[in-house]
Amino acid sequence: MSHLTISRRVFIGSIAYLVTAPTLAFVPFAKVSDSALPVTTDGQFFTASELTILADIAEFMIPKTVTPGATDAHVIAVLDAMMLTWASTKTQTQFRQLIKQIQLLSSDTLGASYAKQPLEQRSKFIAELDKQAFQHPDTQISMHYRKFKDIVFHIYYTSKEANPDYQLIPGTYKGCVSADELSNKGQTL
Amino acid sequence: MKQKYDVIVVGSGITGGWAAKEFCEKGYNTLVIERGRHVEHGGEEYTDMQAPWDIENRNKVPEIFDEQGRYQTINDKGYFKNATKQFFADDKEHPISYPDDKPVRWVRSYQLGGRSVTWGRQVLRWGPKDFIANAKDGHGIPWPIGYDDLAPWYDYVERFIGVSANRDGLDVLPDGVFQKPWEMSCAEQYIAKNIAKHYDDRRLIIGRAANITEPTPEQMALGRAPCQARSYCKRGCTFGAYFSSLSATLPAAKRTGKLTIVTDAVVESILYDNKQQRVTGVNIVDTNTKQTRQYHARTVFLCASAFASVQILLNSTSEHFPNGLANSSGMLGHYIMDHFSGVVAHAEVPGYEDKFAYGRRPIATYIPNYRHEKLADANFVRGYGYQATAQHRRNTGTHAKKAGIGAAVKDASMQPQPWRFLAIMYGEMLPYFSNRISLHPNKKDQWGIPLLHVDAEIHENERNMIKRASLDIVEMLNTAGCTDIKVNQVPDDEHIQIGDRIHEMGGACMGADPKTSVLNKWAQSHDVPNLFVTDGACMSSCATQNPSLTYMAITARAVDYADKLLKQGVI
Repeated sequence: MSHLTISRRVFIGSIAYLVTAPTLAFVPFAKVSDSALPVTTDGQFFTASELTILADIAEFMIPKTVTPGATDAHVIAVLDAMMLTWASTKTQTQFRQLIKQIQLLSSDTLGASYAKQPLEQRSKFIAELDKQAFQHPDTQISMHYRKFKDIVFHIYYTSKEANPDYQLIPGTYKGCVSADELSNKGQTL
Repeated sequence: MKQKYDVIVVGSGITGGWAAKEFCEKGYNTLVIERGRHVEHGGEEYTDMQAPWDIENRNKVPEIFDEQGRYQTINDKGYFKNATKQFFADDKEHPISYPDDKPVRWVRSYQLGGRSVTWGRQVLRWGPKDFIANAKDGHGIPWPIGYDDLAPWYDYVERFIGVSANRDGLDVLPDGVFQKPWEMSCAEQYIAKNIAKHYDDRRLIIGRAANITEPTPEQMALGRAPCQARSYCKRGCTFGAYFSSLSATLPAAKRTGKLTIVTDAVVESILYDNKQQRVTGVNIVDTNTKQTRQYHARTVFLCASAFASVQILLNSTSEHFPNGLANSSGMLGHYIMDHFSGVVAHAEVPGYEDKFAYGRRPIATYIPNYRHEKLADANFVRGYGYQATAQHRRNTGTHAKKAGIGAAVKDASMQPQPWRFLAIMYGEMLPYFSNRISLHPNKKDQWGIPLLHVDAEIHENERNMIKRASLDIVEMLNTAGCTDIKVNQVPDDEHIQIGDRIHEMGGACMGADPKTSVLNKWAQSHDVPNLFVTDGACMSSCATQNPSLTYMAITARAVDYADKLLKQGVI
């Protein structure tokens, strides 16, 4: 996979939507052409197009492997509902801004809107966004992204799909069991 | 119409429930007044049967609370989650006052059952040395009772509530009426064994939990079942496996037919008859209508929690008691205490890489206070213990708050890590006269009751304890064979909030001398014979053990005494 870089200037510049120059035009586009799987129905909070982008990003964060991914765990659908029952107006604004910032960053970096990028480009783009977000934690886009990532991970790791061996009622505590004994009983963390 | 009862119990928490049960079972018409709302045991407010994915907002507290400045004193606490938030009072709605440089954390639960719904369930007897500490080193008011006075009442209370514990044979932490203990993890057993091998005076023991493991016929008759190792206790327990007023004492009181419960009623003050020199009842404010009314009884038991009971007394002024009811000594509001924790340590426990734990044990392990006698290395009096745990192996966690996404990151997440042992110091705060609660001169709450003003802090003795406790735990963990020892110690210039451990005590201390104490050895007012205060307010020192078991024993003993006085017509 070829390397993709979001320049520091572009990353930080996205704070105020002032990014103007496509700085990554030199990056060869991947041949894969499957754009983000569109969500066709508006959610309770997010629009269909917003859900498309968020669901795509969440799956890059926590992809399906031999275990379920973010999509399998309905992470963004749960988040959409939580935007009305959990999120403050500040968080609601943050996440909407994040989508816009990602779109802008994608246009400036890759020359097209995020959802229309091929899979490999989107993957590299989000990986780079993640890296930059933790390198420049004081920027607005970083704060928005890290907050989004945090809640995506929280929803995923509290999902039924991510905890197939969860026991609501363990019935007992055993403080020294083997891995085999544990797998027979189920995990309780 | 005058509403008259034999007894009024103010508060339905851990001591209020006990007072209600004991009086009702002795045949007295008993009124329990609770300021919070009614909660049904096992009802819809309990969230213990919800899996993580079933809990609203995946157990995240709505962010609007922060925007609105609500729950600011507890919003950073692990126990305050979406599944438990209904059991905690909002400090914005129920403010208190304190000096700007000495903030206080008063964690409250305003519902039927009070904090017994959310308590830590660690039930530890005090030892003989704890009751003589004040007399021995001259701090605070000497206790008018000793361990032997309370021992049979500890038995009595433990038998009813159900205590799962090991018989450890320690003088500093007497054994009692126990059910089958919880087991230690292999890492905890390893540390316990090594500490016992190297020290004569220190032990790591399994905690003593008010979670039943072998329910008695009496407990089963109340609908209580064995603990299922879920550790969701703070969400309420549908099984009734942990002791609370809702699961045990109030149902026991209710089945006598002698119990009346009034919720949504804040006791504003206690009625006092100057002529008879007796209390005659209480004034309450209905929290829904804000209307006031009175209830009358032959005896009043204050069980509203340490700070709240003192607040009621301070607000109950009369010609005879212009500075607060039962306050001829002038000691009301003084000597307030809490446990404090200035040291948190954790360390890796080597070995056992092929071992895991199953289930969620509802209790931690415990290192009891080993510093009752002043050792050569101590520049303080009293001592400290540690609440500790290694009940599960740690795991690698996730990358939610650090860089990295994708399959490789996912596969590396939540993977088993070596066992780690965590220890939190619990120190004994001395009873200082200067640490006091009073009524704010002009600020009032939404019901027109003066706000409580808390002015309290730890002093040099406690700071010195922290330094030594830090050294001690490092030494113990080293000795126990641990590695990668990390210690967080609160700096000298950092304020430690009173109330942070949720063990507020004092303010209406027991003592033999009416000139220096508020209550006698029966937790009965020196000044007003039909007034008792049996919650944390009555404590003359705070020891290092979790105090609820002692409150319960004091309450049951006080009711037994009041029963005799009532029958004799003395009160």
